[in-house]
Amino acid sequence: MFEAGIVSLDLARLLSQVDQLGAETAQRQVERAAALPKAQAALHQAAGLDPSAIQQRIERAGDRWRGASPGSEAWQISLPAPPLPPRWHAIGADGSQVYPDRHAAAQFCLVNVGSLCLTHGSGEAPVASSRPRLLFRQDELTTTQGEAVDAALVNGMRDVAEMTELADLAERFPAEPTLALLDNGLLLWLALQEFERRAPEVDALLKHYLGQMDRLRRTQAALAGVIDRPRGTNLLRLVELCMLPPEQVNPESARLRRFPNLVDRDLLETLLPPGHRSAMFQVVSPLNAAFEARGHGVHFFYLNTGYDGQIARVEVPAWVAEDADRLSCVHAGILEECRLTGIPYVLVRAHELAVVTQHDRSALESLIAGALLRQGIEPRISQKSTTKRWTASRRRHRL
Amino acid sequence: MTEKRTVIGRVTRCSIRGFVGGIRLRQPDLPVFGGWCQAPAQGGETAVVGLIYDISIEDDELARQLAAADAPSPEQQADSQLNRPIPIELQALTVGYRRAGTWVQALPPQPPITLAEITGLEPAEVRAFTQRLDFLPLALSTAEVPADQVVAAALRQAAEARPRDERRPFLLQAGQECARWLGQDLGRLERLLRDLQAGGEA
Repeated sequence: MFEAGIVSLDLARLLSQVDQLGAETAQRQVERAAALPKAQAALHQAAGLDPSAIQQRIERAGDRWRGASPGSEAWQISLPAPPLPPRWHAIGADGSQVYPDRHAAAQFCLVNVGSLCLTHGSGEAPVASSRPRLLFRQDELTTTQGEAVDAALVNGMRDVAEMTELADLAERFPAEPTLALLDNGLLLWLALQEFERRAPEVDALLKHYLGQMDRLRRTQAALAGVIDRPRGTNLLRLVELCMLPPEQVNPESARLRRFPNLVDRDLLETLLPPGHRSAMFQVVSPLNAAFEARGHGVHFFYLNTGYDGQIARVEVPAWVAEDADRLSCVHAGILEECRLTGIPYVLVRAHELAVVTQHDRSALESLIAGALLRQGIEPRISQKSTTKRWTASRRRHRL
Repeated sequence: MTEKRTVIGRVTRCSIRGFVGGIRLRQPDLPVFGGWCQAPAQGGETAVVGLIYDISIEDDELARQLAAADAPSPEQQADSQLNRPIPIELQALTVGYRRAGTWVQALPPQPPITLAEITGLEPAEVRAFTQRLDFLPLALSTAEVPADQVVAAALRQAAEARPRDERRPFLLQAGQECARWLGQDLGRLERLLRDLQAGGEA
């Protein structure tokens, strides 16, 4: 089972903990199996409630409740994929980054966006691209409060760069069916984390991000975020909310979990045959309200990708959710893209084009060292980095 | 040595007798068997000349997944063949070196060092190197590589690097040189000459 290799971890000390992990995982599976029929029954019951009674509960749940709001489709509906046109475009963008490192010879960070633009039905090779951007100026590495740019902000820049890449590519096909994919949710993660703090940098990134979504909406592109093995519980929280009598719903009771071991995916695995999608729901959160105000309110559905029974969560903006043609492109297009690789092929390749490996990073650091030397500056890493390099090649236990 | 050349590999291990390089290249840019290549050594003072005798494509999980699938689309096939950098390893047999603009057909004083850039020889360089064929005994006597096939392929490429009317005379001269060194093994000589003849007829 194990391949011979070199490990530095003291595995002997971990053995008993690993055994406990296995037992814990098995126990959780038993608990999930016991909870699932109850959750499914609750879903069935909640689906039959009067929409106004559901809306009343959602309103009483308060701002901090992170559930889903139902749309017009029946909750337990399972929809097959519509046909695809003979020729259509699939675009995927993905990003990676190098965070600022105070131990490095020079201060910088890097955002690299990879993308693939594949025209189905053309027989032609897709267009692959990789766009690295080095950030090194003082105003790029410091916030308006004078603090160093942190990993969260770099991630936000990467997310904006991904959306910008999709918009740039989609504008090449303004009147043709185009599926534009990201491999994460559509709500800007940084803004999700920092929404209440409202730092100027976060606001600026959010504004830019929404601006790119505006550009995509003006094309015929069907924008979607695909989340593989989703851990989302928005739908379950809605079901749990519906289990409470309306008069008992308040922010405290709404946060109590009835099915803490389950995620939405568990609930839908048995409902969705291969290729089918679930009903559409809307994310309930203050950030999504801000997206909605710009016409980009995020909706989601679950999809059996047809690849080994996997269930993916697909997020789309309102202008896709409410446009039958764009929604068809998302549903059928993702299925076709998943046919060989389980997650959309364009995203697999975009990741390959974006990823910054340790080898890439070392090559970049060598280039930077050369640039410093040409300026008469000796490139010096910190003593801590130096000592890490000393110990990186120490003798290791052979497994 | 300052002109911009296409890098076809970077040295990963080497000895005086040959070098091995790895790189990720797109399929159209892959080097060919018997190709002429060089890698700098001695801090750029010399360029070690090699003949590529093996090209292997390393394992690639995505390509394996697509190959195992029922029917990758034409676009995905084209992507793999034209866009995706293929992780390759090439092995070259050292047949000489260049120092200060002079070609020497003998083993070099030092091998290239790790990560030295391996580039192809330009046609003019191939012509210049093969003005003499003193490298033949060195190449033909190398064990554990397909020496005869790689020599024949390299000589055919050296012929291709010449004007059309010089190709056949060059191959005839090369065949005579090979006969000098393989005269004791007529079976081996015959196979090599047939390989060369195929190039001359092409």
